Amino acid sequence: MAVFQAALVNELEKLYKKKKALAAFLLSLAVIVIGQIIIVGVRSGFGLRTAGSMEFPMLVLSVVVNTILPLFTALVTIDSFSGEFAHNNMRITLTRPVSRLKIFAAKIAAISLFILATLLLLLIFSIIAGFVFNTNSATLDSLVRTVFSYIVSLFPMVVLALGIVLLTNLLKSGISVFFVSILIFLGLKVLGVFFSQYSSILMTTQLDWYNLFLMKSFPLAKIIRQFLIMLGSSVMLFTAGFYLFDKKEL
Amino acid sequence: MKLTKKTTMVLSFTLGAMLLATTALADIAAKSGYDQLKDALKVTAAQCSNNLSSFTMDISYNVKDNGKTLSSMNQTEKCDRTKSAREETTSEQTISGNNYSNQTYFDKTTYIRLSNDDPTYYVTEYTQERKDMAFSDPFKNNNADDVEKIADAIVGNLKDNVVVTENPDGSKVLSGSLSEVQIPSLINALASFEMKQRFNGQDGQQDNVPHLSKDVFVKTIDGTAKVNKDGVMESILGSAVVSGKDEQGTVHDITIEVLAKLTDVNSTVVTKPDLSGKKVVKNVVKNENSVPEISNPQEFMGKFKNDILIMKDGKFVKVGERIIEITQIDQTSATGRYYEVYKPGFDQYATTKRDFSFNATKSKDKNSPEYKFRTDAGINKAFFLDEHSGKIYLNESTTFSEGGIILDSTFSPDFE
Repeated sequence: MAVFQAALVNELEKLYKKKKALAAFLLSLAVIVIGQIIIVGVRSGFGLRTAGSMEFPMLVLSVVVNTILPLFTALVTIDSFSGEFAHNNMRITLTRPVSRLKIFAAKIAAISLFILATLLLLLIFSIIAGFVFNTNSATLDSLVRTVFSYIVSLFPMVVLALGIVLLTNLLKSGISVFFVSILIFLGLKVLGVFFSQYSSILMTTQLDWYNLFLMKSFPLAKIIRQFLIMLGSSVMLFTAGFYLFDKKEL
Repeated sequence: MKLTKKTTMVLSFTLGAMLLATTALADIAAKSGYDQLKDALKVTAAQCSNNLSSFTMDISYNVKDNGKTLSSMNQTEKCDRTKSAREETTSEQTISGNNYSNQTYFDKTTYIRLSNDDPTYYVTEYTQERKDMAFSDPFKNNNADDVEKIADAIVGNLKDNVVVTENPDGSKVLSGSLSEVQIPSLINALASFEMKQRFNGQDGQQDNVPHLSKDVFVKTIDGTAKVNKDGVMESILGSAVVSGKDEQGTVHDITIEVLAKLTDVNSTVVTKPDLSGKKVVKNVVKNENSVPEISNPQEFMGKFKNDILIMKDGKFVKVGERIIEITQIDQTSATGRYYEVYKPGFDQYATTKRDFSFNATKSKDKNSPEYKFRTDAGINKAFFLDEHSGKIYLNESTTFSEGGIILDSTFSPDFE
């Protein structure tokens, strides 16, 4: 376990030193600021309330989980795998007395922590912005639901990251991984619209699963099914990704 | 036995795949409340159009401002498929405070209408039997599938908001409730904008109607549907609350409720209104798609004219006459002459004076009142015969007046 921890700290350190994580945080804040400006504009211009203090964080989440969060998850993931292979840094990582499984797991754990950190940052700042600039509509219930929605958004994002990990181990160049991921992402979005009855299997629809936690009638069965679908796909993607990572010659 | 790395990987991959496959199948098989709602609607529409011999449908809505009724509508529709007859009674109180009510009756050969402000029964009799007037299934429409797909895509994640409660006798209650957090922001914004436009204090709205100007938002949307054990929907109630403030800062909660009920299945009686002793205006047409038609064009033999007018010193002044003379006309063709006559002293207006003979052919549609012809100058023109008012309409390509002359293309019979 100590070995894994060391590997994780090592990966986090690398992530922290990279500009990409910082850019992700800054962009997330920009989303909140721009969103708030638009809302204030619509409110004074059209006289609509648009979002109360508790609806604002949900509005931010609905935009972010479909745009910048998947984008930065992809960038960070590609950096952590393709980037290191390309710069031959992977050799340094792998020559340490740590098994490949632990390195692989540590990398994924680091990416997940990055996603979680971004989500929490968005949560805190959007709640603050919501309270400062918008009509108060908060209740304890809605606050708890909002916090929950942000936290559960981690799961589909990790599944997405694992999918991209598999791609980074399949394709050599980081740029091609990036473009293939974007194409697949858009393709799945379109499929989700045309085959809405099967959309629960698609990664892109799962990104919106936080909505299930907002419902008045807590749809437990649906949440469990959706969770198991994500669990199943992440186990598959993790194994397949690791299989390729383990076989990779340096 | 210690598992090798390879077997572990194969095992975990298979486990993951199985987990994914089984839950995905379960998820697809599990009918969401939304799907059950759609099924109930389809079953109900199919039953109403094919199986039930008669039924009564009540549809009503009302709009309230903080509990005070602003507008309401109530419609009762009785359908009898065996007689293929339908009776509709509507009463409505509009937002501007007016009351309307009307009553209509349809069957294969008759259409009767009565409104509240006029005691006259307007009766239209069709000489050709019309299609089944009772009820047609909207889901049999060609576009229904596409509309359904679009609706599915729009509803998207909200699908799981429909909760199903099953009763021991097999009937079901489907209900759903959305609060502001669950309504997608874009939909909320568009709906509130629409409501704000409705209640903007313009269009002659009275003072009792609130003028929303600030902080408009959709507060809640609720719906309940009752489905009986045969899968037929007996009632569906939808309500929405839109909240907003007026200029004075008073909060208005505007409630919109819509209720539809299906009652008296197989026991509804549709009766034709008793017209004896009532004031009746009767009209006989061939079928509902009838266009103006002409049965005897010979009526139009002779001279038709209208006055050529100008505007002078703020008054209309007659400067001459336009004359159409039809010398021969039947169901295939017509010949005649168009000319203009100017009164002495107004010759300066005669610069655009026209005089031509025509040899027109009737348009191919049977009984169509249109006759087309081509002038010597090569311009296509046509005239229409109107049997009801005894007039000829000349269709000309010019639409602007020349030299101050007022255009008029309606010609009346000349009896002088």
